[in-house]
Amino acid sequence: MSNVLQRELSKWTQTVQISSANFLAYKGDVLLQVIGPAVVFFLIKYQLWSSIYDFADAEVIKGYTIQSMIEYQAWVMLVGFISQSYNSRHLAEDIRLGRISSYLLYPFEFWHFHTARFIAFQLIQLSIVAVSVVALYISGFLPSLTLSHFVIGALYTSLIGLLWFSIHFALGILAFWLDETWMLRVTFIIIANFFSGAVLPLELFPDALRSLLYLLPFPYMTYVPVKIFMGVYEGSVLYAISVVLLWITILSVLSRLIWARGIRLYTAAGM
Amino acid sequence: MRKCLSFLRYYLSVYRRYISNNVARALSFRINFILLFFVDLAFYGSSFGSVSFIFDHVDTVGPWSRQEFLFFVAFMMAVDQIHMSLFMMSFWELSSDLREGRLDFSLLKPTGILFPVFFRHMRIGSMIAFPVPWVVMWYFGSEIGLGFVDWLCLPLFVVLAVALILVVEILLSAAMFWTFEGVGINFIRMQLQSISRWPDFIYGYLFQKTFTFVIPVLLVGSAPVHYLLGSSSYMILVAMLMAILVVSLLVNIVWKIALRRYESASS
Repeated sequence: MSNVLQRELSKWTQTVQISSANFLAYKGDVLLQVIGPAVVFFLIKYQLWSSIYDFADAEVIKGYTIQSMIEYQAWVMLVGFISQSYNSRHLAEDIRLGRISSYLLYPFEFWHFHTARFIAFQLIQLSIVAVSVVALYISGFLPSLTLSHFVIGALYTSLIGLLWFSIHFALGILAFWLDETWMLRVTFIIIANFFSGAVLPLELFPDALRSLLYLLPFPYMTYVPVKIFMGVYEGSVLYAISVVLLWITILSVLSRLIWARGIRLYTAAGM
Repeated sequence: MRKCLSFLRYYLSVYRRYISNNVARALSFRINFILLFFVDLAFYGSSFGSVSFIFDHVDTVGPWSRQEFLFFVAFMMAVDQIHMSLFMMSFWELSSDLREGRLDFSLLKPTGILFPVFFRHMRIGSMIAFPVPWVVMWYFGSEIGLGFVDWLCLPLFVVLAVALILVVEILLSAAMFWTFEGVGINFIRMQLQSISRWPDFIYGYLFQKTFTFVIPVLLVGSAPVHYLLGSSSYMILVAMLMAILVVSLLVNIVWKIALRRYESASS
């Protein structure tokens, strides 16, 4: 029994190691693809909100001072680093180009491989976040940072990373039917970013829309983790975790169903 | 003059071929049309929604009211729409052509190298959403009281804006010849687009000067819209034209140097 477990663990750790090495082969590219957009997005929002507060009559907009708004945006960037960096581009490409035959033969399933890749990427991202948090804290962008909130926030956000991975996986395996899945992925990312509070804090949304959003997973994907990091989340963290776990379960079941149907349509390259 | 006309006719005939090839290819993946429409719609909705929700809580952002700001957003959407439909794909293709040494096919064409590289690949599906930004621009343009001449100039300003962002991006894309993987350069290009999507006055002094005079992406939308709103004289349009001219000259020089670094798959 322990031998089986050890063998299984070894497969996972080795895949994680190889995937990390692959990701880090082009360090400059990782920097430009993952970190660059988030940093530029943060800089734009920093400039935008500074300009809005400069011209606004009020010093507080919907409970946010300029400092707390900038802190909110800084945490949005960090949450994005942990949760949103991995995408299903390769996964869909493998299916579309008929390259998944090896996974069907090897004793390491397709979703195992991609989950290991996701873990490898998460580990890289967590180290980037650790450096970013220190830099932002020293620069004064994270005034309300405490260790306890950071630990809870980081754990919760890792779960959100898993939720994003589940979404990407479910969308990616639609490649059994579609030639291109990036359009679905991009549409979902745009919608989720907007409704999750990654662009604007949800307090700025109309009340009716905000109430409606809580019936969906979006607020739990950015707004809630940011509030946890800031130490001002008023809801129950346990409830938020349950909601996220529920969505991960739904998506996992859905992915299994899609995979089971899709694999019947699969044609390998050269067959 | 006659030589110039025949040169233009030749390039137009090639471009017509590019269009028909792209349309034929796009029609073979019909579901992509619908999906692309949703991508564009989500993008427009989130952009307009963000600005609109901000204005629910403040009266002005910088010197602009809600209508003026949303007119700017619609203007930039129209620019993005043309850019996404006609040029965006080419930059992604260029990075993979360089990586795989496939640029030879473009180098062998009986045209200038930039023409097949940046005009051949189109995303025809994006053209379905073409009317959306124009309808919004028309709505907010009417609200802010644009005059007859302004309306006449508007399409020309959109074309100039597309030309400016395009030449800046072509210049930047030459950097792909010095990298192993050009995808990263494409991400820088996308960041420049993001910067240009907001009016110049939201940026601090240093940021504003850098992205107006060094990398002139802030002129793309801000210059024509400031002029239309009467907050800047025609000189800002002259600056925009100068920027297009200077960057185009740089493109010519830099691309000649960059091409010397190219190694094809068989070389």
